[in-house]
Amino acid sequence: MIQQTSPEIGGMGHSVKRKEDRRFIQGKGNYVDDVHLPEMVYGQLVRSPYAHARIKNINIENAKQVPGVLAVITGDDLAKAGLAWMPTLFFDKQMVLATGKVLFQAQEVAFVVAEDRYAAADAAELVEVEYEELPVLVDPHHSLDADAPILREDREQKSNHIFHWEVGDRLATQKAIEESLVKAKVDAVFQRCHPAPLETCGCVADFNTATGRLTVWLTSQAPHAHRTLFALVGGIPENNIRVISPDIGGGFGNKVPIYPGYVCAIVASLKLGRPVKWIETRSENLQSTGFARDYHMTAEIGADPDGTVKALRVKTLADHGAFNAAAQPTKFPAGLFSICTGSYQFPNAFCEVDGVYTNKAPGGIAYRCSFRVTEASYLIERAMDVLAYELKTDPAELRLKNFIPPEKFPYQTPLGWSYDSGNYRAAMDKALEMAGYRELRKEQEEKRKKGELMGIGVSSFTEVVGAGPSHTFDIVGIKMFDSCEIRIHPTGKAIARLGTKSQGQGHETTFPQIIAQELGIPVADITLEEGDTDTAPYGLGTYASRSTPVAGGATSMASRKIREKARKIAAHLLEVSEEDLEWEPGKFFVKGAPSKAKTIQDIAFAAYTNLPAGMEAGLEAVHYYDPPNLTFPFGTYICVVDIDKGTGEIKVRRFIAVDDCGNIINPMIVEGQIHGGLTEGLGIAFMQLISYDESGNVQGGNFMDYLLPTAVETPNWETGKTCTPSPHHPIGAKGVGESPNVGSPAAFVNAVVDALSHLGVRHIDMPITPWKVWQILKEKGMAE
Amino acid sequence: MTARIEKTFQVKAPIEKVWALLSDPRSVVQFVPGAKITESLEERTFKGAISVKVGPIVTDYKGDIHVDRLDEDAHEIELAGRGQDVRGKGSASMKMTGKLDALPDGGTEARTVSEINVVGILAQFGGRMIYDVSDVMFKEFTERFKSQLEQPVEGTSAEAATTEPVNAIRLVSSALGRSVRRAFGGSDDSGDKS
Repeated sequence: MIQQTSPEIGGMGHSVKRKEDRRFIQGKGNYVDDVHLPEMVYGQLVRSPYAHARIKNINIENAKQVPGVLAVITGDDLAKAGLAWMPTLFFDKQMVLATGKVLFQAQEVAFVVAEDRYAAADAAELVEVEYEELPVLVDPHHSLDADAPILREDREQKSNHIFHWEVGDRLATQKAIEESLVKAKVDAVFQRCHPAPLETCGCVADFNTATGRLTVWLTSQAPHAHRTLFALVGGIPENNIRVISPDIGGGFGNKVPIYPGYVCAIVASLKLGRPVKWIETRSENLQSTGFARDYHMTAEIGADPDGTVKALRVKTLADHGAFNAAAQPTKFPAGLFSICTGSYQFPNAFCEVDGVYTNKAPGGIAYRCSFRVTEASYLIERAMDVLAYELKTDPAELRLKNFIPPEKFPYQTPLGWSYDSGNYRAAMDKALEMAGYRELRKEQEEKRKKGELMGIGVSSFTEVVGAGPSHTFDIVGIKMFDSCEIRIHPTGKAIARLGTKSQGQGHETTFPQIIAQELGIPVADITLEEGDTDTAPYGLGTYASRSTPVAGGATSMASRKIREKARKIAAHLLEVSEEDLEWEPGKFFVKGAPSKAKTIQDIAFAAYTNLPAGMEAGLEAVHYYDPPNLTFPFGTYICVVDIDKGTGEIKVRRFIAVDDCGNIINPMIVEGQIHGGLTEGLGIAFMQLISYDESGNVQGGNFMDYLLPTAVETPNWETGKTCTPSPHHPIGAKGVGESPNVGSPAAFVNAVVDALSHLGVRHIDMPITPWKVWQILKEKGMAE
Repeated sequence: MTARIEKTFQVKAPIEKVWALLSDPRSVVQFVPGAKITESLEERTFKGAISVKVGPIVTDYKGDIHVDRLDEDAHEIELAGRGQDVRGKGSASMKMTGKLDALPDGGTEARTVSEINVVGILAQFGGRMIYDVSDVMFKEFTERFKSQLEQPVEGTSAEAATTEPVNAIRLVSSALGRSVRRAFGGSDDSGDKS
């Protein structure tokens, strides 16, 4: 149990108001586009209109004539410096500016730099590129056809195949499915979608010709990793690179990769000796930067007639676009997709994934997701519902029957994971009770008799977050630890710096709460800094719900190092031995004599003024935390929908979300994270798709086509929680940011399918639009 | 994206007179907003250009037009065109068939079917823009075409022969107006054709 601190200290469990919000709501945030430097100039990218075409000629003469234009950089210019291509985060390379040919619509072709944004935009219009169109490959199911155009002429392997990855026992799983008396199968596409953060990507690159130092203000979720990559690729000594991630307006995985615009701005600054700003437009962000998902999946379950599951087989085709720019740990080409056995006891499982190229924007980033966990969770939760229909059993009952029971943790899954802790039944029971599940089923039955359409969707997801243990997890070789450095000032106030980077998660509040919990220093007295590679300790950044599991562990451990030194100083001040001291948050006192005490503030002052003989001055610590395992948050979501037979419109009547993320640091922030993630899940389930027509034209490349849910579409979220701490994490926390996005799409889709299940409907691919529903109703003779 | 557009209009002029005009791309082009023929390569092949402005996007397509089929007896013509934007913003191709029928009142009915394929930034707007823009262009075309044929005096169609880009403001406001009307429940007879 976590000891409760006073509200003044504001340790774990207190809904401390977010410290950063004061500046955000006053418009005093400092985002990349707020950076203005003397002599700063502006960059604009010229992009390809074609999905696949050979570049025959680029004429930059007219563009150079525009007043204020300083430089026009093409792929050939970069090639001379060896920078036309850059490595992606997953063993592939990507063109910075196209040379030879373009491979997706909106690909970067040239970079114009001018004194102001208008001149840069005007000149970009005048860059004349002559193309020869090539056959376009849009459908990943045709990527491996014999007559498919080979997209990547740069690769030795003359094929559009990127990788094959498999895990589990193929033969045992096949046998178990063949022998099962009940079988269920679902083909599901988790469509290509985009995180669409409020702030698009951008940077200001400032190369100082006098000092030889490069400073880059960057929309980066992982500033340290980006600094190292800039050093390795650009050949600039790492000590001469400073990456600063200022305030970030949402990342959701979109700001993990390095984008061509960043590299172009850096090259232009090196060339001109002036700061260069490059900021994407909304369409550029949607059309060219890291998309998410695009997994084309099949799941088969074998089960006994009583509903006991026996085996799960998953086969998936992954569309990575023109370059494999997935941002995920080195040993996991399909991320953590093998979490696909979910919350259930499958004795046998097998999972295989093939990645292919198409003429689409590159990516495959982890949109509010630990690397393909969302796809996995969606698939298993859909498949369990299909099995429930096969068995004519209630989907909640089927899940309860197959849950891994609490006493079996740590639980080894057949696909290699060791789940740390879980109590799935507790979360399910709570959700069923909050929903009034039995009454809802009765209501549904009565409505069906009257011809009305109502559906109840259940999703009992298990998440895997907190990448990750160094024995298994690295990104391009860098181990996935994270770090915290804490300095206590003489007056008892403190500053902490971390290797993570908040993009709106509330780090300036929650990490100080951990320190407040461990040291008793009031949260108001602790300043938190992240994102400046010159000052913060090295870390891998914030994505995949890893900040609390990894950097939170580091914060806790660094605090404890300080507490150990504080104990020595307290013993010196109180003239007792260390063993005679007891700790409560904020002070050491003598056992049996609570009035004989020294506060952490007294101790901090003594650390600079009155030290025991021979002790090093100061009170500070740094810790690089290597988590022993991942953490496995879970929960049950229940969604209730009503469908209008006249229009196909889906109304989400209720949504109940019971989450278990272990011990909670700030309940208000957790709830806010859940509201945000559920709303994103709603958008994915019902509205969002980056599609391409047969010529490779992006059809979801602006906010007219790529819809975001607003308050109008968003239902009232009913949240609840259970608490199953992580046994291996220093403060028992598991992380929560992505759970609602991982668990909710299946709940929404299951609810709609449930409303139509008596008509024989078993699956509908997302986004489930009214048009799709109406077509089904028409086909079934139900449309009014 | 590919769009299929079918249009029918009537002209108060005898079929042979209409045919004389319609069967020669050099004369047809003067009625197409923003279009011109720049060079005759051979009897049935021409070099041409068309400028289309949608909002902030101006595309200047340059390319070839070829008369694939010309059936004098049936009054049928098939045209194929293909062009690239001069600044590399994309390409467009078109296949159009036109057929004339004499009407009992001495007039003529023209039926056209066009298949347009657009690649590039314009195509990102999808059907709503392509259909709306082509509607506006076609309306302008028929007005000019009819006024030429229905004018008793020759040589008064100087205005119609303009090669200025399609009137941007009128086009955009008209097309946007349609999109807005659709969003608020107005009719949309073209949205599902893409």
